[in-house]
Amino acid sequence: MTTIQRIWRIKNILLRLISTRCLECGFIAYPPKASCPKCGSRKVVEEELPKVGEVLTYTVINVPLKGFEEFTPLIIGLIKLGDAKVLAELVDVKPEDVRIGMKVVATLRRSTKTLDGVIPYVLKFKPLTLKLNTTT
Amino acid sequence: MRKVYVVGVGMTKVGKHTEVSMRDLAAEAISNALDEVGNEKPEAIVVGNMLSSLVEQENLAALIADHAGLRGICGLKVEGACGSGGVAVLTGYLMVASGLYSKVLVVGVEKLLERPTPDTLRGLAYAADADYELIYGVSFAGLNALIMRYYMSKYNVKREELALWSVMMHQNGVKNPYAQLRNEITLETVLNSPVVADPIRLYDACPLSDGAAAIYLTNEDWKKLSDTPVLIAGVSNAVDSPDLSSRFSLDELFASRLSAENALRMAKLSVKDVDVAEIHDAYTITAAVSLESIGFAEKGKAAKLWSEGRFKPGDKPTINPSGGLKSRGHPVGATGVYQVAEVVMQLRGDFPGVLVPAEVGLTQNVGGVGSNVTTVLLKR
Repeated sequence: MTTIQRIWRIKNILLRLISTRCLECGFIAYPPKASCPKCGSRKVVEEELPKVGEVLTYTVINVPLKGFEEFTPLIIGLIKLGDAKVLAELVDVKPEDVRIGMKVVATLRRSTKTLDGVIPYVLKFKPLTLKLNTTT
Repeated sequence: MRKVYVVGVGMTKVGKHTEVSMRDLAAEAISNALDEVGNEKPEAIVVGNMLSSLVEQENLAALIADHAGLRGICGLKVEGACGSGGVAVLTGYLMVASGLYSKVLVVGVEKLLERPTPDTLRGLAYAADADYELIYGVSFAGLNALIMRYYMSKYNVKREELALWSVMMHQNGVKNPYAQLRNEITLETVLNSPVVADPIRLYDACPLSDGAAAIYLTNEDWKKLSDTPVLIAGVSNAVDSPDLSSRFSLDELFASRLSAENALRMAKLSVKDVDVAEIHDAYTITAAVSLESIGFAEKGKAAKLWSEGRFKPGDKPTINPSGGLKSRGHPVGATGVYQVAEVVMQLRGDFPGVLVPAEVGLTQNVGGVGSNVTTVLLKR
């Protein structure tokens, strides 16, 4: 279970999905790194990731970690967002309907309470459904 | 650098040791190792452990050395998640190779069954990235399940093929008196076991374990402590990101490959020279990607090879004659030391379970989902 300090410290990264892009080799890393994991360069710049992507792989967790009982079964996906990958919870979809390659979009949702009893909000991902405008 | 030899090993049975404290588990392994070297007092002790906070105890080197009658010697603890035992072996190697010490005891110890399972699972998940991944409630099994689904989809590997690994490990472990799960299982046992983190089922996973193992390291001057000293021909560690998100690849353990390549180069050996290996099969998928990253199988082919009967006793290499993490068990901070002790006994010809003729052995201990990996090459 996390703390309010942690959520406060990294809220900008979590809610805007801030990655780092290397100015030397171009490698993009999420979570953001102080130096490039690929070439070691310290010349990295922050870059906001797109909020729409596709599921690279996923799992449905039946045995929860302490504190996540109410979110079980918990669907976790690794999502391709542009040139980066982000691990996050998948919501608004039944476990049996999740597919590799499924298009998803970020959505702001409640997470489990912190140790201090605060309710943090994080980005989760839901299926992207294109709604056609049928009114003329 | 001085050459480093293993001249004594000791283990406890892996399992649930409710009646034994952490210090007594460690002392039993130490006592067994000291018996092999005529009770020659070591000059230093290195303890490998990940989660002693579960039993509300830190300062393990002092606790264990003192309890084992070694008050006054040099002592330290090292940690590398489930790879803590491996980094303890590497640290002990360095202390002897450097010439600073001549006789170093390396002890791995872990007690995972002291607390309710959700507490232990939470502790194990600390090996992942707490800020950016654990915050979503992903368990250690969940992280490995992400790799498993990706791998099965990319290489068209069947569920049944991966499950056969567990069957094979139990066949080996049933003969190992130190193993935790000493029963044979069938393919159906694996395929019908409860889903932990889809597609990982209970019998894809290693058990939670208590246990301790020790190895006694010396240089050329002291190798006479044993009639059958075993040379540490190569040792190497590599790290990768604790998070899966920024990995270069999801179907290869980058740190496993680098650590194996470097250890083999140091030993002037090729992967084809290895007769016996103990690898880190925390999950059936971990066995597959480890075998491929080390170089025992081509990418995407490991499960096909073991489905055809490869890696069993008698094959070169024989993999996990102990039963591996799956059957021997996985007392996390001790596992890397168990692996070295087991392969030393294989090379000496006195392992009390499945025994294979071997001149060259390899161990690989993995922390996190391949984020802290130590490979050791052992030679008779």
